[in-house]
Amino acid sequence: MNIAANNRNLQLLSGNHAVAMGAMLSKPDVAPVYPITPQTPILEKLTELQTEGRFNAEVLTPESEHSVLAACIGASHAGSRVFTATSSQGLLLMHELLHYASGARTSIVMFNVNRTPASPWGFWPDQLDSLSQRDTGWVQLYSETPQESLDSVVQAFKIAETVNLPVMINHDAFYVSHAVEPVDVPEQSLVDQFLPPFVPPFSLDPEVGSSFGAPLAQDNWNKSRRVLDAAQAAVCDQVVEAGRDWGALTGRPYGPIEQYRCEDAEVVIVTMGSMCGTVRDAVDRMRDQGQAVGLLKVRLFRPLPVSALREALRDVPCALVLDRNYSPGTGGILHQEVKAALFGTGNTTKMHGLLAGVGGVSVSSDRIQRLVGEYRDKVPSPDAIWVD
Amino acid sequence: MREILILGRGGQGAQTAGNLLAQAFFEKGQYVQTFATYGGARRGTPVMSSIRVDDRPIKVRSNIERADAMLCFDDSLLDQAFLKNADNKTLVVVNSTRPASDFAGLGDYRIVPVDGRRIARDNDMGKVINSTLLGAFVAVMGQPGIDAISDVIESNAPAKKAQNVAACREAFDKFSATAKEPSL
Repeated sequence: MNIAANNRNLQLLSGNHAVAMGAMLSKPDVAPVYPITPQTPILEKLTELQTEGRFNAEVLTPESEHSVLAACIGASHAGSRVFTATSSQGLLLMHELLHYASGARTSIVMFNVNRTPASPWGFWPDQLDSLSQRDTGWVQLYSETPQESLDSVVQAFKIAETVNLPVMINHDAFYVSHAVEPVDVPEQSLVDQFLPPFVPPFSLDPEVGSSFGAPLAQDNWNKSRRVLDAAQAAVCDQVVEAGRDWGALTGRPYGPIEQYRCEDAEVVIVTMGSMCGTVRDAVDRMRDQGQAVGLLKVRLFRPLPVSALREALRDVPCALVLDRNYSPGTGGILHQEVKAALFGTGNTTKMHGLLAGVGGVSVSSDRIQRLVGEYRDKVPSPDAIWVD
Repeated sequence: MREILILGRGGQGAQTAGNLLAQAFFEKGQYVQTFATYGGARRGTPVMSSIRVDDRPIKVRSNIERADAMLCFDDSLLDQAFLKNADNKTLVVVNSTRPASDFAGLGDYRIVPVDGRRIARDNDMGKVINSTLLGAFVAVMGQPGIDAISDVIESNAPAKKAQNVAACREAFDKFSATAKEPSL
């Protein structure tokens, strides 16, 4: 197969530059961003596109990520479509306002490049930075490829503006952020067809007196969480719809999860982000050898698509959950979440939680194949296991 | 699938070289994936660029553990840590003024030294050696061809386009004649 035979608009782009193209095509009004390795190429590309007259958002560069998110919240309240991007320490500095942004029902779209949080210092692909923000009320998507990152940015605006919740998309440092590969950049007209202009249900207006984020008594504070819960409950269907509609326009459908070659699988490998690609390769090789192995990719992590996960793992004899993160004192976060989703459902899958990519260590296709051989017949432990 | 590694020091252009090489393969109709990893994010620290080339979409996202070809921007970086990604079939091109026999002690490897500094200097490129090294590397690999790489260098060079292309072609000509096993 020769890709020159493909008539799509394929460009060689890094994951980060693909994100910037997705942001450009989504036509945000405001983009406050603070640079941080390995996110910086997103901001660099946006300012380059702005100079060329192709990106018309107001780009703000405040003095810290905390101020970036404050600017995002204000802009979103004023009815603007807002995009920002960060990574690791920057995301963690935003923590206080992450809660605020979801509670205030903003429709901000943020791209986070997954990188090890200090200490020790590092720049490596590890998802603890965003996974540790799982309780802040943001929708979280994890992307496997530069193409998916571009496509997910556009879909994220549709989702965020439909459910009035902020959406954080994540991709792994280096393996996706700095991976340069052919990316189909859709036509502007196609994106315009998919993503109508943002019409906020309420916005700040100097002509209309109203109050945002005022103190509430306990009963109404409680009610605000119940309303938030209802909004979260609507997210999964919106992710399904956006992924299906995008697929109809581009030939690239997406969903909350993806099952790759899981038919009659005796072992299913569950993971998120860049490692999904390497698992696909391992699955192909094992299937070629007659082993019934599949991949269960978790794309939507918050809210966790529990119904889809329960269905996908219902009759699976053995599952290996590969975590590229470590929650100190507990283990792999995806492992915990999947276990919790299945608890009480009568599921009998033998599940192994393997800390496989912590700190950004490379996990090769050969390594994944060996792990399947090593664990498929083992008695599972409810606790996470460090593997080399 | 062919897997290629380029190692240099921050600021030498190893990451750019990886992107240019990948683009040349892409222009020839191949699927490519290239990514750079660096520890210090500053000049002088090692930067590794990884390139995969295939005639099918590339799924795998992990480090290259056994390269078909390697390019090293600085012979002080050519050590066992880098060579653990090589075997006796791997083509190793290294920027060095030393003869190939000087590297025999590293083990059974196919090491091709290239005096990139001299060729770059002769072509008015000063200390900028990546276009020169790419010319030699493409000659030794036998792929993706001198026209593909020089076209990509010409369209991407921010300055001295003619000098970059001349340096690339001089290195290519020198090493396509001397490469004993130009296969990847």
